[in-house]
Amino acid sequence: MRKIHVIPQKQKRNTLIALLIVAILFTIATIQTEYQPLSFFMNMENFWEFLLVDLFPPQLADPPTIVEGIVQTISMAIAASLLSCVFSLILAFLGSRTTAPFQPLCKIIRFLASLQRNIPSMIWTFILIMAFGIGSVVGALALFITTCGFLIRSFIETIDEVGAESLEALQSVGASRLAIITQVIIPASLPGFLSWLLYSLEVNIRSSTLVGAVGGGGIGLIMMGYIKQFRYHSAMGVILLIAAVVIIVDLLTNYLRKKVLA
Amino acid sequence: METVLSIQNLKKYYGATKAVEDISFTVDAGEVVVIIGPSGAGKSTVLRCINRMIEPTEGSILFEGHDMAKIKKEKDLKAMRRRIGMIFQSFNLVQRLSVFQNVLHGRLGYMNTASAVMGRYAEEDKQKALDILAMMGMESMIYKKAGELSGGQKQRVGIARALMQNPALLLCDEPIASLDPSSSKIIMNQIQDMAKKRGIACIVNLHQVDVALAYADRIIGIHQGRKVFDDVPEKLTKEMIETIYDAPIEELTVGLEEGVALHA
Ligand SMILES: Nc1ncnc2c1ncn2[C@@H]1O[C@H](COP(=O)(O)OP(=O)(O)OP(=O)(O)O)[C@@H](O)[C@H]1O
Ligand SMILES: [Mg+2]
Repeated sequence: MRKIHVIPQKQKRNTLIALLIVAILFTIATIQTEYQPLSFFMNMENFWEFLLVDLFPPQLADPPTIVEGIVQTISMAIAASLLSCVFSLILAFLGSRTTAPFQPLCKIIRFLASLQRNIPSMIWTFILIMAFGIGSVVGALALFITTCGFLIRSFIETIDEVGAESLEALQSVGASRLAIITQVIIPASLPGFLSWLLYSLEVNIRSSTLVGAVGGGGIGLIMMGYIKQFRYHSAMGVILLIAAVVIIVDLLTNYLRKKVLA
Repeated sequence: METVLSIQNLKKYYGATKAVEDISFTVDAGEVVVIIGPSGAGKSTVLRCINRMIEPTEGSILFEGHDMAKIKKEKDLKAMRRRIGMIFQSFNLVQRLSVFQNVLHGRLGYMNTASAVMGRYAEEDKQKALDILAMMGMESMIYKKAGELSGGQKQRVGIARALMQNPALLLCDEPIASLDPSSSKIIMNQIQDMAKKRGIACIVNLHQVDVALAYADRIIGIHQGRKVFDDVPEKLTKEMIETIYDAPIEELTVGLEEGVALHA
């Protein structure tokens, strides 16, 4: 009897080849970096010792400074998110094919956005520190730049998703381009805009700590200071605090997102 | 009756595709003209060329003394478009806005930019919107979101929006294709009312021949972009229907049965 294939032979073969390539890549990479997962796990007692003796119990050495640092980090994230939201909204309306007053602008804005987005915020921080020195303004600016890149793109997509149908209706009514934007596109995309803004807030709370650590100020810089001084208990205290803040912000934005999208 | 729209030798080519090939006809005030034809015949294209949502390749479209096909300036085109209402198969409402706001959109073409952008409608426009909605039996849901309405209710909002434009001409592209028979009947009656009571010229694209027969003052049959019939419904013979649809009449009866319920 003839065998009936559930999955085409060709597809099977391609999957096999793909698996093989991944295996080869893994082997090469392991040899290259001398990364030995086995010996890592063998030496785990070192790690446990570090964790249990050096990190615990966590400590909050200087509460006023730490609170100030946390507030600074959160403010950095909020300021960067809100400012880039306003900025990105304007650019998104100029960069979306549906709303752009002239088409060449679309390409320029999309290019700008991908440049901003594809260079990580840490790198932007380094660049800005070279230019302006250490401080939370630099941190906020670095976050602002990457957030813009990502929000412009998301906002453009949100605008482009507005149904061609309601646009057609308002065009046939004889409404002007600006009126179409405020009467159709903004109401239809508002939940999308807000949802992306909340997401950027989440991301920025996380990356503002990192950006801070490399010189952008706030709690990240304080944590880095403790690590450099080998004050691991205090560092651990700050790390747990940051984790708590991130979780609280996530819960909050998730709650708000549900409200907005309802 | 006075002629509202006069189309001469309208053509629309998409590259090698001849979507509309040399179509001419006129529509009078208060007249309901139904366009029938198989899928892809060019019905929607004809309709959208009239208000220039699609750029015609050739021909003239005389509406209220202006040739729509020759208008160059965006501003002039908008001024003409506000006198032409349009009703769509998929209703084309802004789902997240209220019924009231959607109906008021019909006034946007008449307002100055600042008021239109801010959505500041004149009190008399709001009163007019309320009156129209009341006439359509929708007064209890003016603050409901358009997305929450049934299909038949959405189409009534679509008609109300078009009425707000004070149109001389109404273009309806398969207004009942997404509706059940009883809603279809309400909508078709309302379109007919608008033609008869307000003297609006109406062009309605339809798939159901029997609905066309029931409501049309005149029927235009299109086949592969060409007009093959243009006369009163009484003159539409079985043979003619077969020519328009390029199929024996038995194969066209699915639509006819739906229509029987419509007449009941
Ligand atoms: N944007 C376009 N580009 C290329 N060809 C198109 C385009 N729009 C329509 N056509 C073609 O023009 C012809 C007429 O299309 P049209 O939509 O007017 O048909 P219709 O009579 O409205 O059909 P239906 O009853 O299915 O709505 C079709 O052959 C279609 O493929
Ligand atoms: Mg069509």
